[in-house]
Amino acid sequence: MKPTLPGTARPISRPMSRDKADTLLLLLACVLVLAPQAANQPSWITATGGMLLLWRSWITFRGNRMPSRWLLLPIAAATMGGVFATFGTLLGREAGVAMLALLLIFKLLEMHARRDLFVVVYLSFFMLLTNFFDSQSIGTGLLTVAAVIALLCAQLSFQYTGVVPPLRRRLRSALFIFALAAPLTVVLFTLFPRIQGPLWGLPKDANAGRSGLSDSMTPGNIANLALSNEVAFRVNFIDPMPPPSKLYWRAIVLNHFDGRTWTRRAPAASNDAPALAQAHSLVRYQLTQEPASRPWLFALDMPSSIPRIADRRVVLTSDMQLTAQEPIDERVRYELTSALDYTLQTEASPAVLNDNLLLPISYNPATLHFAAAVHSRFATDDARIRAVLDFFGNKNNHFVYSLQPALLGRNSVDEFLFQTRSGFCEHYAGAFVVLMRAMGIPARVVTGYQGGERNPVDGFLIVRQSDAHAWAEVWLPTRGWIRVDPTAMVSPDRIQRDVTTAAENEPILGGLITMNTGRNSLLAALRYRWDAINNGWNQWVLNYTPQRQKSLLHSLGLDNIAAQTLFLLAAVASALIFAFGLVMLIGRRNVDPIELAYSQLCKRLARRGLPRLPFEGPRTYRARLSSAAALPAETRTAAERFLILLEGARYAAPDAAARTKLLSELKKMLNRIR
Amino acid sequence: MSRTATLRQRAAQRLFKWGAAETGEVVLNQRHIYILPTRAGLAYCIMLVVLFLASINYSLSLGFALSFLLASCALIDMHLTHRNLAHLHLSPGRAPAVFAGQEAQFELHFVNPRKSDRYAIWIGFIDTAVDSIEHVIDIAAAGSSTVTLTTTSTERGWLPIPRVRLRTQFPLGLMRAWSYWRPALQVLVYPAPEENAPSLPLAQGDKTDGNGAAGHDDFAGIRPYQAGDSPRLLAWRQIARSDHQALIAKQFEGGLASELVLDIHRLPQAMDIELKLSRMTAWVLAAEAHGLPYAFRLGQQYFPAAIGPAHQAACLQALALYGHAV
Repeated sequence: MKPTLPGTARPISRPMSRDKADTLLLLLACVLVLAPQAANQPSWITATGGMLLLWRSWITFRGNRMPSRWLLLPIAAATMGGVFATFGTLLGREAGVAMLALLLIFKLLEMHARRDLFVVVYLSFFMLLTNFFDSQSIGTGLLTVAAVIALLCAQLSFQYTGVVPPLRRRLRSALFIFALAAPLTVVLFTLFPRIQGPLWGLPKDANAGRSGLSDSMTPGNIANLALSNEVAFRVNFIDPMPPPSKLYWRAIVLNHFDGRTWTRRAPAASNDAPALAQAHSLVRYQLTQEPASRPWLFALDMPSSIPRIADRRVVLTSDMQLTAQEPIDERVRYELTSALDYTLQTEASPAVLNDNLLLPISYNPATLHFAAAVHSRFATDDARIRAVLDFFGNKNNHFVYSLQPALLGRNSVDEFLFQTRSGFCEHYAGAFVVLMRAMGIPARVVTGYQGGERNPVDGFLIVRQSDAHAWAEVWLPTRGWIRVDPTAMVSPDRIQRDVTTAAENEPILGGLITMNTGRNSLLAALRYRWDAINNGWNQWVLNYTPQRQKSLLHSLGLDNIAAQTLFLLAAVASALIFAFGLVMLIGRRNVDPIELAYSQLCKRLARRGLPRLPFEGPRTYRARLSSAAALPAETRTAAERFLILLEGARYAAPDAAARTKLLSELKKMLNRIR
Repeated sequence: MSRTATLRQRAAQRLFKWGAAETGEVVLNQRHIYILPTRAGLAYCIMLVVLFLASINYSLSLGFALSFLLASCALIDMHLTHRNLAHLHLSPGRAPAVFAGQEAQFELHFVNPRKSDRYAIWIGFIDTAVDSIEHVIDIAAAGSSTVTLTTTSTERGWLPIPRVRLRTQFPLGLMRAWSYWRPALQVLVYPAPEENAPSLPLAQGDKTDGNGAAGHDDFAGIRPYQAGDSPRLLAWRQIARSDHQALIAKQFEGGLASELVLDIHRLPQAMDIELKLSRMTAWVLAAEAHGLPYAFRLGQQYFPAAIGPAHQAACLQALALYGHAV
């Protein structure tokens, strides 16, 4: 068998001789597989890979010899060295992906036997998986499906031994395999017992480079976020959605100021219960948070419950910050209850209050002076807070809300309050807290998000990075911590705006074109629809975790199922789908009842020792039967009559009525031959 | 046969239900078809496991989807590979008689009643001493294909067809489905005609009519002596001249072909029976070639003088089966 197998035992380095088209198809499949990596890899790897692939295509087109090992080996060694130089390692995720991509390309250049085809296809499947590290979007999913079909088609093409059908037919075969496999995949995906990862240490770089709130606030870094349209989280309100002005999504509490940067110091040990003394207007909602490589969770001001996330311990600190034990490096979903009206810690410990009164020494003298003036002019803390807010809000003071504030020097608060007077929310919140502390009112900065955008298609509230916000909290005796948003004094629109009009006049192509993307425009409608599809994808495909699986099974009434039972269930379900597919296949064949009767007749006669020979038609068969002595006379006449009728029907093309009559006649004859 | 080979044979018989030959048309069904992963298929399994573990580790939902999709493709491939053989109609074709030592040819018909094509089905013999060549065929939808498999015949008599194996890896090459078939087909193997046989025994032993016995009149040349040659035919002069003192006989042609009787009893008693049969075979062929009618006697069997393919076939069959239980 060996010598006749094409592609095997060919000692000379030549491209597989079968068909240029087969090899080109495989190359195309590999390009589909490698394409998403092109943007992610260092440019020299993308360039080298592209050139090698072009070389390979050229070899195939021209029918040239494959490069010898002695030429390939140094090139391969050089690129591996390059990978090491770039990443500092050959292991790890990013270096590993680069190595895999190069390995695949080199294997394409060193493909001699049929075995090598399998190696290429399997490497491609691995490559497809690594593409998911960077993106698991619908687009990546569709590209993967296309690549899998192309790879199946390539693998299939190399299996033909005789005449190879045209590409269209082969593609149809690959699609056929895919179409049959798809329902099975859905069943496996839903029911196959899931195990929560990671099994081994997740590399640090797994979610590198994602934007989000940071745990410090320097003038300018929230403004950077404001330009990002990335989704931070999505909220599905179980209770009616509160008005936009109440949508303060709390994330990080910053209590330490060094003159320039606000940072978080873990609150001094205190007995303050992280619970609300009073909680009214409770709102329940589900929040789906995008991965951000940061440990904090988001909650509507003020959370009254601690969310539960599988395999992660979530802590509510005494200053009402929700923090997970580990960074959130995957999309998580949790359910929360928040109180819109609350009273928090009327009896705060002196140590905590003291922490929230600290200011750096010898910074911002003008601010301190101004604070002292306000303090002496007004008798109550309430009045003093009012006075500061009025100072911001007074039109004559010309405070401006701006995404491009002027740069500030050493005494940043002084310069902001008395010179530039243009700033983003972080400037206002920071300056406000400094003023409060200078007047002896405990205060702190809270960062998070404000508002959101409601998707009319699926009703989810989308909160983007551009909704990042900073506000202040002050502590007053008997009233506890209360929220104060100085930005609202300067730019009430920022807080009050309708949640559905957030993205009007969105700059496109870096601001070259400004398009009206208001709520009624076609573009906005499309965008919402797309986001709803994306959200559904996230909710049901990407976020299908072991917990999701459990809760789905729970809702199906399959509680507390052992893994084995689940396994069995999956097996039974796949078998059912399989059987269903088979029935569909067979049913599609649409057998002519007359032909069916004919084959029955042949079967019955075969049992009597007179099978129809492959070359015999009804007439020759009849001739043979009429001279067969072995048959009883009655059977013989019935069979002969049947065959005469059949022959007539085959050439006469009877109409529907005649057909049914004929069929019943045929059946009658058939019944006589038992 | 070694012991392990016997054991394997027995295991195969049990496992694959190897039995007697199957007469008539055979339809391959589930019971006939066996399926196991190929080496590429095993590698595919390992790849699936690695993909699955990586998906768990990195919590890649689409990674799970990809692993499950590929696993499902393998399952579908298993089904399709099985389907590539299933419900194939097999029927034996012609198997013309041959002389021992020649290639015995078995014609096999494969009919595909389905409305889809079948590709890359390898057909060959197993358990033949020498590896026979496997043929690979495609069978079009509702079409048929004929394959002629050959094996070397060694001894006269009926040669049953060795067990036929059909195997396929189509469409993805991850699975290998195979089936065994023992059709009721046999080739009649005639004895090998003796090389350099003595000339035809024209009216040998009956010299009353004055005409020389056939083949005794005209000196036609010499040839190596063969057992059974009359001592009168020895060419003494040539024997004396030859270096090796090999026996050389004179050969004559001509004479009146009044009656040619090929009778095994007229050959010397001492001759080996197989050699006698070989010579008779050679004579039958020679008589046919010369167009001489010949009577044929082999033990109890007697065919009166005749000529033609039917007569030749009957004679050769008698020779092939001489001494065998028919």
